[in-house]
Amino acid sequence: MALRDHVIAGYAETKIVQKSERDVYSLMGEIMDGLLARTGFEKRDIDGMILTPSLSAASTTFWAQSAAEFLGLELKFADTTDLGGCSAAASIVRAAAAIDAGLCSTVLLINADTPTVDYRFSNYSFHDEWADPYGLMGPPGAFGLLSRRYEHQFGLDYDMLAKLAVTQRDHAILNDNACEKLRRPITREDYHASRMIAEPIRLLDCVMPADGANGLIVTRRDIAKAQGLSRFIVPTGYGELTNLGGGTSLVDVTQSGHRVAGERAFAAAGLRPQDIGSFHPYDDFIIAIMIQLEMLGFCGHGEGCAYVRDTDFTYSGDLPLNTGGGQISAGQAGFAGGGTNLIEAVRQLFGEGGARQVRNTSSALVTGIGWIPYARNWGSSIALILEPDA
Amino acid sequence: MTETTNDTLLVPRSPIRPYHFSRPYWDATREKRLVMQYCPQSGQYQHFPRPVSIATGRTALEWREVDGAGEIYSFSTTRRGFGPFQGFEPYLVVTVRLDVGVDVISNLVGCDADAVSIGMRVRPYWHPLDDGTHLLLFQPDEGPFGAVQS
Repeated sequence: MALRDHVIAGYAETKIVQKSERDVYSLMGEIMDGLLARTGFEKRDIDGMILTPSLSAASTTFWAQSAAEFLGLELKFADTTDLGGCSAAASIVRAAAAIDAGLCSTVLLINADTPTVDYRFSNYSFHDEWADPYGLMGPPGAFGLLSRRYEHQFGLDYDMLAKLAVTQRDHAILNDNACEKLRRPITREDYHASRMIAEPIRLLDCVMPADGANGLIVTRRDIAKAQGLSRFIVPTGYGELTNLGGGTSLVDVTQSGHRVAGERAFAAAGLRPQDIGSFHPYDDFIIAIMIQLEMLGFCGHGEGCAYVRDTDFTYSGDLPLNTGGGQISAGQAGFAGGGTNLIEAVRQLFGEGGARQVRNTSSALVTGIGWIPYARNWGSSIALILEPDA
Repeated sequence: MTETTNDTLLVPRSPIRPYHFSRPYWDATREKRLVMQYCPQSGQYQHFPRPVSIATGRTALEWREVDGAGEIYSFSTTRRGFGPFQGFEPYLVVTVRLDVGVDVISNLVGCDADAVSIGMRVRPYWHPLDDGTHLLLFQPDEGPFGAVQS
């Protein structure tokens, strides 16, 4: 079978909140209930499950088994996709691969995290030795270095980053599931006036931590049809790259693995960037959106500012961008946040975008970014093209 | 407006607990010597230290002493300090591209934020840690710290 013989049968999402007074298991239960209600599947139909990691449960090495027990699931396949912010979207193709291998047939994908009430994350990597002694402040610090280098090589019109920030914020205002704290308008001037964190990264370049959950059911096309589902979403192209240039000591930090990931995804789907109906890139920092536009072929390397200047990214515009607000304006629900823009893409393709519904529902491009390496671009890049079943 | 950047030399830094394969690096810093892993098969230096050559995947690696000369590849003035760096803002985090072909993340001392630029030549400044090892910082090749022997 091909990737496109598998379908997304349904989606579910909680509202994104801060200090939710909930826990990951509570949110997972809510998501599973929503998915079963929407699709008509019974719990006994679910024989596979893939989770994203969780900042709240990161120290739980038996994460998938524990979740299965809390949810009462008997599974022939259980796993966690360990690709940071790429995990949620990457789980779709892992589910398809598991189904294709005959391991299971209907897979529950759940992404849940409550880092603002329970944060258990710890690193076992290069940080203790090579980053923390220099006060490099995690992702903002690394993106400060990346942005300054980009500016040196190509010039960087910060007003174009402001434009992207404002567009996403306007979309969050239309999204009832976005974090309420962020559902107030901002202007480009607000962006430029927001305080510096790690120059040139400002507060309004960054995500705000929050709690939330989302999920999907991935199954075989014939099973979905037998279930009586007439509409579903099909993954038609996918590409993934981890540790770009990992065998060389010197890399250009302005280039990401999305070039390779995008080429593979577009080739599989038989589409070009200009065919894409809406764009749902992973957004941990505003500049990451622009770099992904370049790497995915919407414009050339270093031409992102000109492309942003000439493009209307509103939900009714040329290339609708993160129509739910993205993580930056909806709130980043920990590792579940990697599912936020994915769910929005699925919602749009189902035609359920409500006040922010895009016109072109022929396809959507979702991406992921995961891991901040040492003196490189980000660690993992994925591109996933979705199309509605005709 | 000129703003003084913190050299971070008063930040309470803990001694490093190295991985097994990075011990030779830290041992050499006791004598303020900079050593880097070198892969003789590919001719490539690498940093940070790894258990294998990132070029070949094999464990055949040498430690070679290098002078630490390089240039600023990128820099960021940190306004929100991390961990023990809180209260020492603003300070400069830099990526230094060493002449031997590796990138090193560090702090720049003896240089204010408005004086640093990409391409600026820098050299090591060894900052002592409590266990006798030293932390590799960088200083401008020319400037106030130019005469300081560290």
